[in-house]
Amino acid sequence: MTGITEQRAALDHPMIAVPNHDELVEQLFVRDFKVFVHGELEPIQADIAKQEEQSLPPEAANSKVGALRERMEGHESFRTWLAMKRESQRQLWSTIGTSVERQADELEKLARIDNPRGSVRTDPDFAVPQYIKDGDIHLMPGGNAHDDGSIMQGAVMDRGGAVFMLGRNGGMLNDLRGQTAMAHALTRWPDMAPAKILDLGCGIGTSTVPAATCFPEAEVHGVDVGASILRYAHARAEHLGAAVHFSQQSAEHTDFPDQSFDLVYSCVLFHEASQAAVMNILAECKRLLRPGGKVVHLEVPLLHDNSDPWVELSGELEAQYNNEPNWRGALTADYSGLLAAAGFEDVMIGYQATSPAARQGPFRFGPESEGVYRSWFVASGIA
Amino acid sequence: MTRTPLPKAPNRLDAIAGNRPFDEQVLGMIVGLASEVTVLRARLDACERLLVAGGSLLPGAVDGYEPDAPAQAERETLRRSTMEKVFRPLREAAEAELHATTEQEQSQ
Repeated sequence: MTGITEQRAALDHPMIAVPNHDELVEQLFVRDFKVFVHGELEPIQADIAKQEEQSLPPEAANSKVGALRERMEGHESFRTWLAMKRESQRQLWSTIGTSVERQADELEKLARIDNPRGSVRTDPDFAVPQYIKDGDIHLMPGGNAHDDGSIMQGAVMDRGGAVFMLGRNGGMLNDLRGQTAMAHALTRWPDMAPAKILDLGCGIGTSTVPAATCFPEAEVHGVDVGASILRYAHARAEHLGAAVHFSQQSAEHTDFPDQSFDLVYSCVLFHEASQAAVMNILAECKRLLRPGGKVVHLEVPLLHDNSDPWVELSGELEAQYNNEPNWRGALTADYSGLLAAAGFEDVMIGYQATSPAARQGPFRFGPESEGVYRSWFVASGIA
Repeated sequence: MTRTPLPKAPNRLDAIAGNRPFDEQVLGMIVGLASEVTVLRARLDACERLLVAGGSLLPGAVDGYEPDAPAQAERETLRRSTMEKVFRPLREAAEAELHATTEQEQSQ
């Protein structure tokens, strides 16, 4: 079995909350339960949907997804599958939260860094964007902006993210997206040597540290909405030997000067924002980049086949029941058009092969997805 | 030092059309119980392996264990009380229906 195993020490990084015996089994149970719900229950629902689709009346053609949803909601197994999918997510946060709280004192001690290379700047007056306030993303209790003055929410997000990805995204480092974004930049611009880099929606820095590792000479910044997750991100980056400057800001409007960056990027930010925010973020990227600077946005695979009502409905359910505020919006957007409209040139969209370490490649970028986790959607361009 | 506990419930949990809240409560409890049983079993397994590794238990000793008569009697009692505790609601519901049916018969 790849991903999370029972070898605790092998998969740790210095800041991550390490589960004890029982907590680890609980986390593995959640992982296995998710695999069961996704791998065994969900395909049956897809088959039921196919059958139901065939018998939809012709007048349903204009709102196929709505009509299909109504039919599916009449099936008890559909409702149970949905409830179980959500329950798996609630169990995930519950077990992680307990484990993090048990070791709060040790984590806080670890987070006290003498002579840090990077920094963290929080803002008590920060206005949390509405799409963050509307629902806790991924059902993480308290949400991304939760702040109790500690690093706890960050510790929850880090461990939770790794388990949520079933360990398939770089184990406990959970950093394949950041590595892949950097590998994409090197694929398109092999000799690039950015002096200043910005990661938008950096979370606990899983995508930010790879930039610092890939470009050790660069000054690397990361912004996000939550003070707790940023304090944690800072401690985590320091323990991993990366100099990163984190600040609590909205990716839509930062306080950095015009034309102050050479590379601005984001990893799976757009589907957690809003359609209006995506437009603002692209405009902000353009403002922040010096002429000739590079923009890279990485997302989960786009919903290519919008003609399949079950795929559409699944997206709708994911957005509604796992609180992904802009799931469908972000995965159906015309990124070539959006980046061009924001003033970027030489825009390319496609799929970048997943990279475990940016400098080692693979430097493979093409129009077709190589599969979930094997490649990531990327839109990039030049300011 | 007192610490603010982490929040336990997420903001925004939309209702699933057609599901009674109770259905979801029951499903949630079953998942929670399955998780507990999984943890218990793993812990028991760890204990057995550690005892074997430490020489306190011979490999296969638990599978080969045959309780003597008093032990069997105690284990019977344990199993019955578990059964009674877990399935009490079913027995009570059936008894209530029996009672109602009997009263109906008698009044006719």
